[in-house]
Amino acid sequence: MNELDSLRQEAETLKNAIRDARKAACDTSLVQATASLEPIGRVQMRTRRTLRGHLAKIYAMHWGSDSRNLVSASQDGKLIVWDSHTTNKVHAIPLRSSWVMTCAYAPSGSYVACGGLDNICSIYSLKTREGNVRVSRELPGHTGYLSCCRFLDDNQIVTSSGDMSCALWDIETGQQVTSFLGHTGDVMSLSLSPDMRTFVSGACDASAKLWDIREGLCKQTFPGHESDINAVTFFPNGYAFATGSDDATCRLFDIRADQELAMYSHDNIICGITSVAFSKSGRLLLAGYDDFNCNVWDSMKTERAGILAGHDNRVSCLGVTENGMAVGTGSWDSFLRIWN
Amino acid sequence: MQDTEHGGVPVRSQKLFLTSIPAAFMGYDLIEWLMERLGIEESEALNLANQLCQYGYFFPVSDSKNLVVKDDSSLYRFQSPYYWPWQNRPPDNVEYAIYLAKRTLRNKQRHGLEDYELEALSNLRKNLANKWDFITMQAEEQVKLSKVLKKGDKIISDSQERAYWRVHRPPPGMVTSLEQCPVPTRSWNGSRTRKRTIEDCRRDVELLKNSLSRTRVKVSQALEGMVQHVETYAEYDPLITPTQPSNPWVSEDTTYWQLNSALVEIPTEKRVRRWALSMEELVSDPTGLQEFTNYLRKEYSHENIRFWMAVNDLRRSAQSQIQRKVNEIFEEFLAPGAPCEINIDGKTMEKVHQEMKAPSRFTFDAAQEHVYTLLLKKDCYPRFIRSEYYKNLLATGIQPSQKKRFFGFGQTKKKTSTSSAPNQQLLQQQPSQGATVTCGALSKRRGSDRSLSGSAHELAVSGVKDSKVPHSHSQSNLSDIPYRGDLACLPKTSPIAAPVTSPVKKPSIAIVAGASTSEEVCPWESGNEPRSRKNSAQLDSGSSSSDISVAVAEVSERVQRVCTLTQQHTVDGSRKLSTSTMDPPRRASVSVPITHSTTTGDSSKRKVSSFEDNSSAATSTSSSVFVIPSDTDNKAEECTSTSKTVVKNHGLAKACSVTGANAPIISVSSVADDLPVDSKVEEEAEATCSQQEPLAPLAEPDSESPASELPPSEPITEVEVDTEAKSNDVCPWEDDNPVQAKTCSITASAQRTLNPP
Repeated sequence: MNELDSLRQEAETLKNAIRDARKAACDTSLVQATASLEPIGRVQMRTRRTLRGHLAKIYAMHWGSDSRNLVSASQDGKLIVWDSHTTNKVHAIPLRSSWVMTCAYAPSGSYVACGGLDNICSIYSLKTREGNVRVSRELPGHTGYLSCCRFLDDNQIVTSSGDMSCALWDIETGQQVTSFLGHTGDVMSLSLSPDMRTFVSGACDASAKLWDIREGLCKQTFPGHESDINAVTFFPNGYAFATGSDDATCRLFDIRADQELAMYSHDNIICGITSVAFSKSGRLLLAGYDDFNCNVWDSMKTERAGILAGHDNRVSCLGVTENGMAVGTGSWDSFLRIWN
Repeated sequence: MQDTEHGGVPVRSQKLFLTSIPAAFMGYDLIEWLMERLGIEESEALNLANQLCQYGYFFPVSDSKNLVVKDDSSLYRFQSPYYWPWQNRPPDNVEYAIYLAKRTLRNKQRHGLEDYELEALSNLRKNLANKWDFITMQAEEQVKLSKVLKKGDKIISDSQERAYWRVHRPPPGMVTSLEQCPVPTRSWNGSRTRKRTIEDCRRDVELLKNSLSRTRVKVSQALEGMVQHVETYAEYDPLITPTQPSNPWVSEDTTYWQLNSALVEIPTEKRVRRWALSMEELVSDPTGLQEFTNYLRKEYSHENIRFWMAVNDLRRSAQSQIQRKVNEIFEEFLAPGAPCEINIDGKTMEKVHQEMKAPSRFTFDAAQEHVYTLLLKKDCYPRFIRSEYYKNLLATGIQPSQKKRFFGFGQTKKKTSTSSAPNQQLLQQQPSQGATVTCGALSKRRGSDRSLSGSAHELAVSGVKDSKVPHSHSQSNLSDIPYRGDLACLPKTSPIAAPVTSPVKKPSIAIVAGASTSEEVCPWESGNEPRSRKNSAQLDSGSSSSDISVAVAEVSERVQRVCTLTQQHTVDGSRKLSTSTMDPPRRASVSVPITHSTTTGDSSKRKVSSFEDNSSAATSTSSSVFVIPSDTDNKAEECTSTSKTVVKNHGLAKACSVTGANAPIISVSSVADDLPVDSKVEEEAEATCSQQEPLAPLAEPDSESPASELPPSEPITEVEVDTEAKSNDVCPWEDDNPVQAKTCSITASAQRTLNPP
């Protein structure tokens, strides 16, 4: 017990030292640095498509790399792959467990993955020889619900779980290759860096962590939020990321400066954030809120630049296409909307 | 909001078809109030109103099913505060049972239960059997009490109760905002009891130590980078800068996607510009990566990029293949004396050798990093961006704009190309050339040509050209080819030359095929680039256009020679000429077009066809042939001007190839837009030509490398059999290479045997 105490003490002093070091590096503020930047004015986006077909709350959506197809997961126990332009359903996949909480589209477009309260990440192959969609692999191993998953490629997938861990899986063998331990609360979300070598995770311990996929180690921890972090997303240049939390704020963290750069909040916004995504340039930060709205933030000026209102229930997921053309939102009202 | 006296939403008895509905308000009143009070937009206000409705703070009077607020005169009523969700009264099954039972006791017509409610009631009766007496008693009591109330109040309280249960016990298929989310309660701050072991603490301390010692960039510096990124990419952000030609989500026009799909023949100008931003931008775009590879291949330094791609592929491979792939990569790039040995320093090599002992996805990471940062990023990439190759790509890049005009043009283009107009024009041009014979041949040719290459390509090309060279009538592929077919047919009247012209026909086929893939034919390409590239249809004509500039010099030189020859030929009789050109050593040095130019009867036409073949070969799309004949005569005298006109010819043809490839994608392009591009390209071609002219001798040796993809016997059979049906991409003028030269000599001999002098 003595050793434990001393370790705790050491950790505490280290934390303070880090705080001081961060302060030392903080020589300016975002507002100062971006004062000369042209304002972008009001961003007005309209619903271009409404994807109807789910019968219950939508919990997750993810764009395919073609920026046109997307997959959505609903608690009616279905994954639907949509052609969002024609609003046709490309695939409708019945799930073994209807308590699905996340889904992901493989970059190759050949697979989708999902998972939820079954603690299993299921991989579905969209391009089988027989032409039907079937489970190609189930990845059991987490001891808590699956909160998020993202493909690295057709052979590897990273998952985050309510068991406070993240994991890297080899899909072919179905084995957990690496376990990323360190969070002290349920991990709610993860985002892969553009170079696919690292990822950030946001957890209910109100911290975000940066992980090295190959080494399996936590490289940096970013405290700052006051409540659960529900969503994280990388800034397009890979040197920063944004988080959305139940404390009704979004925040911007810089990896090289190792600290929080900005906070996006408003007196009128008192509800939690479920999902975040950057526009192609990173200038706009889109966030889905519990109050049925999506707010569009000017990430450089920390001002609200627009609002996407239209859903009749909580916006549970949100995504910007890879080419930045469109924003997709999914809601508990069982509809998906495409905006731009 | 409910404070009607002091600026709340006007609540009053509303009259509707003689019946008075008490204590209700209208949708638009509410929306207006929200907008005014909160200073928000209509859409947001409507959304907020819907939200309030879903949570049951008010409800639609007439519709008990859908909790939706409309911005019209539909009526709504406030829920009694007792039922507001923030009271946090979890809806109780007993209460629900009482409510249902109560309704069964009352007027069937007004209070009849829905199917799902009946089902719920019977379920509840089962589940709450022990309490059922109490429930029915309560229900009766409440019904009795309600009878005492005034009618208006009764209606209100009934509807409020009903709305409450609509929110909390929704009909099947409806979602409720208040339903508990099935996510298990999250543990916060480790409140879930998991003993933190010493191991955990050690790890924490270790991490903290690491993070303390890490170097931190100043925030100002980090922000600078970020601001720079945002500013640079603003124009590439469709949510900030509108896209060209149009956003498919808005306009329903999918042109944008066609222009910007992963692999395209000609990338948009904007896309090419983006490659210059960073190496990452370039290699993350499949088309960019391909262009980069093509460029490096030309510089004979593409082993680096190939290694880089191979390692990337390895990293994404299945576990079972890793061992094999690691070995393959090692054998190909790293082993001493490997076929494509990459240049890495000893230290990295050592690392690789160490990693090789236990092959994994990451075995070559160190080497890849080395290649990427030191060789590709610091050396090849800047060279690529500065190169003519890249500038050409930039110049030929598509600049989508003005969608409407495009459309108008596309239709007219289709018409011209599908109609028989070209034929007629042709006939008009050569009225004396045995029209009856030609017509049959024309239609036949055209049919086969169309089937050879995507007709869309051809149509587009022809259309574009129509607009561009109006004075020469339609100079499309189609019209060109029939014309040559025409040539082929003509000799039939003079049977001596008939078999000799068959090579002429072959090129015409090849050219058409070239128009679709834009690279198949070009003879100079066979020298400049490995043949493996041949069928990669993704190669854009931008790259071949750079080849063109090289080729222009080559061709111009050839043309000069041809000129001198044709001069001779015009003097001599045709049969004599054919024998003279069949003289093998001579033909080897001169190009084939001469062969057939000599064999055709008319002298001026001879020149035309030879030029036509030269130019069309050079551009791999047919070009404006008819400009030349007039020039050709001059050229015979002054060789310097020839090269100029040929350049011009190429300039046009190049533009054609650009727009041609363009057209199938956009499916349209406008006259006005093309012309300036045209002239620009022309100038450029001229410029490059003047630069490259001294290089011409250098370019020639290139052509010595064998094309070799054709068995030499094929041309013979071609001569013997009629070639019309054959879709062969042989270019007889590819005699630059030995194989072809040989085949030509064979054809020549075949010709000789077939045509005794």
